[in-house]
Amino acid sequence: MLNIDKLKFGYNKENTIIDEINLAIKEQEFTAIIGPNGSGKSTLLKNISNLFTPDSGVVYLEGSDLLKIPNKELAQKMSVVPQETNIGFNFSVYDIVMMGRHPYQGRWGQIKDDDRKIVEEALTLTDTRNFRDRDFNSLSGGEKQRVIIARALAQDPEIILLDEPTSSLDINYQREIFDLLAYLNQERNLTILVVSHDLNLSGQYCSRLVLLHRGKIFASGEPEEVLTEDNIGQVYNTQVKVRKNYLTGRPYVVLMPGRAECVPEKLKTNLKIHLISGGGTGQQLIKEFYERNYQLSCGILNQGDSDWELARRLGYEVVDIKAFSYIEEQDLDQNKDKIAAADIVVVSDLPFGHGNVNNLKQLLDFTDKKILLLEERKIEERDYTRGEAERVWQKLIKKPEVEVFASKNNLLVAVENIAEENKVAEEDICD
Amino acid sequence: MFIDRVIFLLVKHKNILVVVITFLVMVFTFFLALILGSTDIPLRTVIQALITDEGEMARYAVIIRNIRLPRIALSFLVGSGLAIAGVVFQGVIRNPMVDPYIVGISAGAGTAVTFAIVYNLSFTFLYFNTIPLFAFVGALLTVILVYNLARVNNKIPVMTFLLAGVATAFMLDAIRSFVMVLGTQDLQRVVFWLMGSLSGSSWSDIRMILPYYFLGLIPIIFFANDLNLILMGEESAHHLGLNVEKVKKMLIAGATLVTAAVVAVSGSIGFIGLVVPHIARLLIGPDHRKLLPLAAVLGGVFLVLSDMLARSLMPPLEIPVGIITALVGGPYFIYLLRKRKSESW
Repeated sequence: MLNIDKLKFGYNKENTIIDEINLAIKEQEFTAIIGPNGSGKSTLLKNISNLFTPDSGVVYLEGSDLLKIPNKELAQKMSVVPQETNIGFNFSVYDIVMMGRHPYQGRWGQIKDDDRKIVEEALTLTDTRNFRDRDFNSLSGGEKQRVIIARALAQDPEIILLDEPTSSLDINYQREIFDLLAYLNQERNLTILVVSHDLNLSGQYCSRLVLLHRGKIFASGEPEEVLTEDNIGQVYNTQVKVRKNYLTGRPYVVLMPGRAECVPEKLKTNLKIHLISGGGTGQQLIKEFYERNYQLSCGILNQGDSDWELARRLGYEVVDIKAFSYIEEQDLDQNKDKIAAADIVVVSDLPFGHGNVNNLKQLLDFTDKKILLLEERKIEERDYTRGEAERVWQKLIKKPEVEVFASKNNLLVAVENIAEENKVAEEDICD
Repeated sequence: MFIDRVIFLLVKHKNILVVVITFLVMVFTFFLALILGSTDIPLRTVIQALITDEGEMARYAVIIRNIRLPRIALSFLVGSGLAIAGVVFQGVIRNPMVDPYIVGISAGAGTAVTFAIVYNLSFTFLYFNTIPLFAFVGALLTVILVYNLARVNNKIPVMTFLLAGVATAFMLDAIRSFVMVLGTQDLQRVVFWLMGSLSGSSWSDIRMILPYYFLGLIPIIFFANDLNLILMGEESAHHLGLNVEKVKKMLIAGATLVTAAVVAVSGSIGFIGLVVPHIARLLIGPDHRKLLPLAAVLGGVFLVLSDMLARSLMPPLEIPVGIITALVGGPYFIYLLRKRKSESW
C-alpha cells in the first residue's frame, strides 16, 4: 500500500529530522508510529501525506511516487486527520463533512446524490449524525475529532493518516476514537496509520508499532516485540515495566516512579523480600509491601491462587506451579534463587498441605537468612499434613535468625526496622 | 397555527428571505439615492427622466443620468468591491479582523497614485487608464511585502500580519507625504484623491476601473468554493486536494486588484471591507459561494446609502463619505473587539 524508501528530511541542512527511513505499510494494517518528542514522528507523517517534500528518498502510494500524484487524486486515496482542528468560522458539522467530498466535486462544489450518500454513511459511522446541524465550534473536543474523522471518511480513502488524534482528549474520548479506528480497520478494511505518543493506547489497538528514535526506526513489529522494557528504556531514557493486559493479551507500559523525589523519605529502600504465602493469606502483606516500595518476590504459588494474581498484577516476580499440583523437588531450585537473592523471607500464616509443605521445608536449608514467620493462626490449626508441617515449624523457630510474630502489624514494624537499616544513603538515589 | 407555519417556513428558508429582503432594500436604496440630493426630485420625475430626456425632462435627465446615476453606480461598485475584497482577505487570513485597508493596500495604492500624479504619469491607453494601474501595482507590491514580512515558518499569524500591515502603511504614508512636499503644484489634486470621496464621479470613472474590477473578480469567483476549504486550515485544505499556495496567491491578487481599482477612483473609504463581510456572514453563514454575492450587494447598498447621507445631510456642503463609513464602522469594530474574547466568528 505505502512504501517509504530511504526517506530523508530536515528543516535545514544541518538538522536531519528523518534519517533514511525505510518502511512498508501493508493493506489493512493498523500501524502506530510511536516515539518520544522530537523523534520525528509527526514530521514523518507530514512527509507521507505530501505536506513536506523529502530531501531525498521516495514515498510510494500503491506503487506510484507520491509527489507525482495530482492533489485531488491523492485526496481520493489518502485522507489525513490533523492533531487539532480549529475552524475560525461557524460551519455546520454537515458542511464540514461534505467538504470531504471536495476531491470528487467540480469547481463550485455541486453536490450529487453520491456525495450525500457517502456523507450520511460517514456521519453514521462516526456517530455524529445527532449534531449534524450544529456549529462545529460548539462541539466538545472528542466530538470535533469525530467530525474531522467523518470528513476523512467522506473522502472515501484507502488509507487514513492521523497525527496524534487523541493528544488533547480525555481518556473516554481517547477510547472512543481508537475504538472507531479499530472498527474502521476491521470492518471497513481501511489501512490506518496513526502517530501517537501514547504507548499504551497504540499497544492496545494497533496490529503493528513502529518505534522512532532520533529520526530512525528503532524497532518495528507487533506490540509485544516493540514495547519491551529494553526498547522503551533506551529510547525514552527512563525506567518502565512492561506488563500484560490479561483481558486483551496486549502489553502495557507502566511508568516506574523513578528518582527519589516521588518516594517519601522513609520508603527509600532497596530491601528485597521473598514472601511465602497462599490462599489469600498474603494479600494484605503484598499490598503493604507494595505501598512501602519494597522489592518483592513470591513463591512458590499455585497458578490462579489469589496471592499469585495480586503479586503478578502489581508486577512482582512469582515462582509458580500449575494449579492443584504439588511442589516437587525440581520446582524448589527456582525458588531457592529467589530466597537467596532476598534480604529477608516473610512467611504468612498460610495453611500447609502436602502440596505446599515443601515451601516451609526448604527454609531449613538456609542457615543465616533472616526469616519472619506470621502466626495469627496457630500452626496446629492450619496443618493438614498430620504433623509434618508443625515439625518443620518447630525446627525453624528454634533457629536464631527466625522470628515469630503474632500479628501482621508487629511483623510490618519489624520489616520496617530492617528496611531502615538497609536504607540507601539519600544522595545515591536523589542525584 | 398559521403564524407557527409562517415562522417555520421563514426559519427553514432563511437564506431565501435574506436574499429577497436584500434585493428589495437594494431597489429601494437605488431610487431613494436618485431622489435625494442637493435638490430633491420626486420619484415620478425620476422615472420619467430615466425614460426620456425630451422637453422639460431634459434638465432632470442631465441631473439623473449624468450626475446621480453614475455616482450611484460608482458607489455601488466601490462598496461591493471593498466588501468582496474584505471577504476574501478575511477568508485567506482566516480572521475576520482583517480588511483591505488594515493590511496596507490603500497606503500602497495611495503612494503609487501620488507618484503618478506628481510626476505626470497619468494618461489613457486604449481603455486602460494608468491611474488604476499605478494604484494596483502599488497595492500589489505592498501586499507582497506585508505578506512576506508576516510569514513565520510558512504561516501567517494574524497578529504579525496586522502589525506588518500597519508598520508598512506608516512608512508608505511617510514616503507619500515626502513626494507631496516635492510636488506642491499638484497638492490639491492629490489631497482631493486621498480624501476618500465620490463627488464628481462620472461614467468615465466607471469605464476606467471596470476592466480592472472584473479582472480581479475572475479568480475570486473561480476559487470561491476553495476559499471554504482554506477556512478549514491550510493543512486540511491541502489534504482535501487543494493547491493551497496557488489558490491563496490567486485570491490575494484578485482581491488586491479589485481594491486597487476601487481605491483609484474613491481614495480611502474605510471599514466597509471589515464590517460588511461580518454582517453578511451573520446573515447567511460562512459559505463563500453565498457569502460573496450577498456581501457584494450589501457593501454596494451600504456605500450608496452612506454617500447619499454624505451629499444630502448638510447641503450644499458635501461630507467626504469616508467620514460617514468610519463613523458607522469604527464603533462596530470596537464592538467586535470587545465581544470576541470567548466567542467564535
